[in-house]
Amino acid sequence: MAQKTAAKADNQTKLLSPAQIFFRALKDRTAELGTTLIRGDWKSKLSYIIMGFGPLMRGQIVKGISFLLSEILFIVYMAGFGGKYLAKMSSLGTVATQKIGRKTVYGDNSFLILLFGLLTIVVIAVFILLWAMNIHENAEEERRLKAGRALPTNRQLLASLLDQNFDKTLLALPVTGIFVFTVLPIIFMICVAFSNYDATHQPPTNLFTWVGLENFRNLFNFGTNGFGSTFLTVLTWTLVWAFFATFIDYFLGMAVALLINKKGIRFKKLWRTILVLTIAVPQFVSLLYITKMFANDGIVNAYLMKWGWVSSPIPFWTNPTLARITIIVVNIWIGIPYMMLIATGLLMNIPEDLYESARIDGANAFQTFWSITLPYMLFVTGPFLLTQFTGNLNNFNVIFLLTQGRPQSIALSGNAGYTDLLVTWLYKMTVTDTNYRMAAVIGIMVFLVTAVISLVVYGMLPSVRDEEGFQ
Amino acid sequence: MKKRIASLVVSGILAASLLAGCGASPAPAPAAEAPAAEEAAPAAEEAPAAEEAGDVDYGSGEIKIWVADNVVDFTNSQIETFKADHPEFSGYTFTVSPVGEGDAASNMITDVEAGADVFAFAQDQIARLVAAGALEEVAPENIDAIKSQNDAGAVGAATVGDTLYAYPLTSDNGYFLYYDSSVITDPSDLDKIIADCEAAGKNFYFQINSGWYQTAFFFGTGCTLTYDTDDAGAFTAANVDYASDKGLVALKEIIKLNSSPAFQNGSSAGETSNMAAIVTGTWDSGTVQELLGDNYACAKLPSFVGADGNTYQLSGFGGFKLLGVKPQEDENKLAVCDALAAFLTSGDVQLARYDAVGWGPSNLDAQKSDAVQADTALSALAEQLAYTIPQGQYPNDYWSLAEGLGDDVIQGNLSVDSSDEDLMAALTTFQETCISYAK
Amino acid sequence: MKEKEFASMSKRRRISNAICYALLILISVVWLFPFFGLIMQSFRSYSSEYGGMVNYIIPKKFSLDNYRFLVSGETNYLRWYANTLIIALVVTVLQTANVLCVSYVLSRMRFAGRTFLMRFWLVLGMFPGFLTMICMYFLLKQLGLTQAGAVPGLILVYVASSGMGYYVCKGYFDTMPKALDEAARIDGATRAQIFFQMLIPLSKPIIIYTALIAFMAPWCDYVFASYVAFGHDRSYNVAVALTRWVWTNDYQGYFTRFCAAGIMVALPVTILFMCLQKYYVEGVTGGAVKG
Repeated sequence: MAQKTAAKADNQTKLLSPAQIFFRALKDRTAELGTTLIRGDWKSKLSYIIMGFGPLMRGQIVKGISFLLSEILFIVYMAGFGGKYLAKMSSLGTVATQKIGRKTVYGDNSFLILLFGLLTIVVIAVFILLWAMNIHENAEEERRLKAGRALPTNRQLLASLLDQNFDKTLLALPVTGIFVFTVLPIIFMICVAFSNYDATHQPPTNLFTWVGLENFRNLFNFGTNGFGSTFLTVLTWTLVWAFFATFIDYFLGMAVALLINKKGIRFKKLWRTILVLTIAVPQFVSLLYITKMFANDGIVNAYLMKWGWVSSPIPFWTNPTLARITIIVVNIWIGIPYMMLIATGLLMNIPEDLYESARIDGANAFQTFWSITLPYMLFVTGPFLLTQFTGNLNNFNVIFLLTQGRPQSIALSGNAGYTDLLVTWLYKMTVTDTNYRMAAVIGIMVFLVTAVISLVVYGMLPSVRDEEGFQ
Repeated sequence: MKKRIASLVVSGILAASLLAGCGASPAPAPAAEAPAAEEAAPAAEEAPAAEEAGDVDYGSGEIKIWVADNVVDFTNSQIETFKADHPEFSGYTFTVSPVGEGDAASNMITDVEAGADVFAFAQDQIARLVAAGALEEVAPENIDAIKSQNDAGAVGAATVGDTLYAYPLTSDNGYFLYYDSSVITDPSDLDKIIADCEAAGKNFYFQINSGWYQTAFFFGTGCTLTYDTDDAGAFTAANVDYASDKGLVALKEIIKLNSSPAFQNGSSAGETSNMAAIVTGTWDSGTVQELLGDNYACAKLPSFVGADGNTYQLSGFGGFKLLGVKPQEDENKLAVCDALAAFLTSGDVQLARYDAVGWGPSNLDAQKSDAVQADTALSALAEQLAYTIPQGQYPNDYWSLAEGLGDDVIQGNLSVDSSDEDLMAALTTFQETCISYAK
Repeated sequence: MKEKEFASMSKRRRISNAICYALLILISVVWLFPFFGLIMQSFRSYSSEYGGMVNYIIPKKFSLDNYRFLVSGETNYLRWYANTLIIALVVTVLQTANVLCVSYVLSRMRFAGRTFLMRFWLVLGMFPGFLTMICMYFLLKQLGLTQAGAVPGLILVYVASSGMGYYVCKGYFDTMPKALDEAARIDGATRAQIFFQMLIPLSKPIIIYTALIAFMAPWCDYVFASYVAFGHDRSYNVAVALTRWVWTNDYQGYFTRFCAAGIMVALPVTILFMCLQKYYVEGVTGGAVKG
C-alpha cells in the first residue's frame, strides 16, 4: 500500500513539467525562509544577517566560511565597484567627456556601465540564491541534529566533491567560462539592440543610451532609409543558401560515398584521402586562393579566354546570381568530403541481407538505393541534417572568405551585398560600420530564425520520436 | 544533503572567483572617472608652473605609432633622429606598428583607448574619426606653420568644420593613368585607349565600383557631391546633383566603358594580369614599373566624348594622407605626440620619405625639389591635380553606396540597353540616399 | 547459356567500373586543382617573375624565393606561426579536458538542473558567435588580454565556451555500458576514480577526435583573432597576418608569398589530420547519428 502511494507520487512528479517542479520547489523553499525565521534556533536566526553563522557554530567550518566569505566579497564588490555601475544603468551615464586645456577628461563610459551593470545584476541574483541556500542549510542542519543524526565532517564534505558531488567539481569551471564569455556577452548584446550604440555614440568619448524599440522599427522600415527590404533580401538568400548548401552536399556526398564503396573499386583509401584534403587544409588558405582563381583576372578566366571559349571574363564574383551559384558550387568542394565520410560510416551499418533480398527480387542498383539506402540514411541522419542546415545559416567562413558579401547594390542599404548572409552582414556592421545597435538586432533575428526552424523541424523528424524508444 | 553542502561550497568558490576577478580588473576605471572638478584644479596650477620652469619634465610612457607596412622602417629611423633632437622626451618609448591607412580608422574607432597615439590615415576617414572622438585638434602652436607650409588642398582635407584636426602627410592620394607605351598610342583619349587595348587583347583597369574612382566621371561632367560638416564631424547637409543630365552622361560613359571586353574593374596593380593601362595612384608606381618595364609611362587621366557629343576631361578626387594624434588624458604626452606628428610631417621628413618610398609630399618646399619635380608619376599626378576636386568629408555609407552603384553597372542591372528613365531612376535613388546620410 | 550470362555480367560490371574510375579521377582532378595551383604559385619568384596575379599556372622558373622571404625575418611570419602553434597546442589540452569533464558529467551523473543546462546551452548555441565580438573584446581588455596579450586572450576565449561542444563526446560516453560504473562503485571506487582510471583510458578515440578538432580550429580563426589583436603585429596569428596580404592594398605583389606561407601552414595541419583521419571519421560519424 505504502509502496503504491510512493509509486503514485513518483508518477505524479513525472507527469509534472520541469517548470511545475521548479515552481513547487520554489514555493517550498520560500516557505522555509519564513518558518526558519520563526522556529529556528538563534544560530539560524543570526544567519539571516551573518551568512554561514549557523554552520560555523555547529562545527561546519568549511561550509560556514564559504558562506561568510561570499557575503564579505559581495559587500566589498557592491560597495567598491558594482554599486556605482548599477546606479547608472537606467541612463547609461550622464557625465560627458570634456576638455580641460588640451587634456581630455573622459566622462562616463556607457559601455562599461552597461557591461558591469549587467554583471552586478547577475551577482546580486547569485548572492540572493546563496543567501537562501544558507538559510536552507541551517534548517537542514537543525532538522538533522533534532533527528539525532551527526553532521558530516569537513573532511567528508570535501571528499564528496570527488564522489557524489563530482558533477559540481567538474562543471564549476566550464559553467563559469560559459557564463562569462557567452551568457553575459549575449545578454549585453540583447541590451544593445535597445540602445543607440553606434558610430556616433561611441564610448569613451560619447555616451549612448536606451532608445526602446527604435532599432527594431528601423529593421522593418521599408522606406528608403529603412533596412526592411534589404533585410528580406538577405534573409531570403540566407535560407536559399542554407537549403542548397545542405541538400546538394548531402546527396552528392552520399553519391560519392557510394561510388568509392562500390564493389570492385580499388584504392578506396586514396580517393578518400584526396577528398578529405579540403577538410584538412585551413579554409583561409584554400578559399582565398579559390577567390583569386575565379576572379575576373584570375586563372580560370585567363585559361577560358586563352582557349577562346569565352571572349570576355565570366563575372564569377561580380554578377549577383552567378556569384551565388559559384559560392554554392565552391561549397560543394568543401562539403562533399565531410558528407562522404559520414555516409561511408553509415552505409556500412545497413544490414547486408536487406540488399540481398532486394537483389533476389530483381531490383536494380537505382531501385535499391531509392527503396533501401535513401530511406535509411534520411531516417538516421535527420537530426544531423537539421544541424547542418542551421550550421549553414551561420556559415560565415565560406561566404566571407569568398566574396565578403559582394557584389553590392544601391538597392541594398546598410552596406549589405547580394551574397551576404545574415551573419556576414552582422559582421560587417560590427567591424566596418561600428553600427552595433543594428548588428545586435540582426543577431537577435538570426537567433529567432535558427530557433524557429530548429523547433519546427525537430518536432517533425521521425527519427526523434522513434529513437527515444530505441535508446 | 551532502550534495547540497558541496554545491554550496562550489558556488561559494565560484562566486568568490567571479567577484575577485571583477574586483581586480577595472582598476584604471576610477582614475578616468574622477570628477572633472578635482582634475581641473591641479591642471590649472600645473600649467603656469611648467611655463616658469622652462624645461618641463615630460614624464614617461609609451607612444604607439601606426603607419603602413612599407614605411615602418623609414618611420623608425626618423624617430631615432627625433629622439636625438629632443632629449627632453627621453622618458618615452616609441613603438611603430604596421597598420595600413585603410585599417587604422576602423581600428581606432573600435577602441580608441587601445588605438595608436599617432597614426596615419586616408583623409576620407577624418569625419568618422572626429565623430568617434579619435582625433585631437592640432596643437595651436603648429597650426600656422601647417597652413602656410602645405598645399591648400591638403590643409582643407585635414580640416573638419573650421578646425584643423590632422597633420598633412602626403599630397599624392589621387589617381592618374599608367600605361604601356607600346600598346597605347594616345593616352589622352579614353576611347582610343580602349580601342588600343581591345586590339592588343590587353586589359584596361579602372575601378568603377569605388566611390573614390567613380567621381572621375561624375565630377568630369560637372556634377557635384560634397557634404557639409559641423565641428564635431557630423554631416549637416549634402550638395549633390547626380540626378541630372550631367550625371546621366557620366553614368552612360561608365556603362560604355564597362561594356568593353578590354575593361577590367580594379585599381590594384599587384592584382592585375595582362594589363596595358590602369588608373591608380603613386603607391602603385613601383609595381607598375616592374610590370611594364621599359614601356612604363604615366599621364593625366584621359578625356572622353560623352553621349551628348561634348568632350569631357576626367576629374576625380585629389586625395591626401594625414597624420592624426589621439586625444590624451595626459597633457605632457599630448605635447610629445604633437611634436612627433609635426616632425614626421615636416618638409625635410616628407622629402626623405619621398626618397625612401616615393610618397608625394604635401609640403610646398618639398614639392619644389628637383627630385620630386622629375618624378614621372608625381608629375602626371600634378598635371591631373588641375582637374580634380580636393576631397572633402564623406559619410562612411557613401562609399558603400557608390560601390553599389558601380556593382549595378558591372552586374548589368544598368547596361547599354537601359533606358534613360531607368538610368535616371538609379541616379535619383543614389542622390536621395546621399542626401539621407546628412541629418 | 549460363556462361554467356556471366560473361555479359562481368562485362557490364567492367564497364560500370570503368565509368566509376573515370568519375573518380575527374573528381580527384577537380579536388586537387586548387592545391596544385597553390603549390605552383608558391614557387613563382617575386624577383624574376612577379608576385601578383598572372594568367598562367606553372611558373616559368621555379624558385624558393618566397619561402626564403618567409623565414628571412623580414616579416614576423615565424612569430605569427609560433603564436598560432602555441594557441593551438594549449587550446588542444585545455579544451579536451574541458569537453571530457562536461561530457562525463552529462553522460554519467544525474543532478537537478541537468536537462535545464543542456537545453539552455542548446539555445545559447543558436546565437551567432560574432554578435558578441565587441563585448568579448572589452571583457578581454579589462583583463589586459588584448593587443599585446592577445595570445592568452584568444586561448581563454576559445577554451571558455568549449564546454558547449560536448555532443559528440557525450554520445561516445553514452555508448559505454553503465554496468561498468556500477560494478566499480560497488567495489568502492569514487566517481573521480571511475572517471580518471576507467573511463578516460577507454576513450582514446574520442579524446583524439576532440583534440584534433580543438587543434585545427585556431589555424583558421581570422574573425575574432583580428579583432582582439588589432594594431599589434606581433600578436597576430597566421590567418590574420596572411589574410592582410591578400586583402590590404599595402601588400602589392604578396600573392605568391601568401601561397607559400599558406602551404607552410597547411602542411603540418594536413599531415596531422591525415594521420588521425581514422579517429576523425569515427567522431563525425558518431556525432552525425546522434545529431
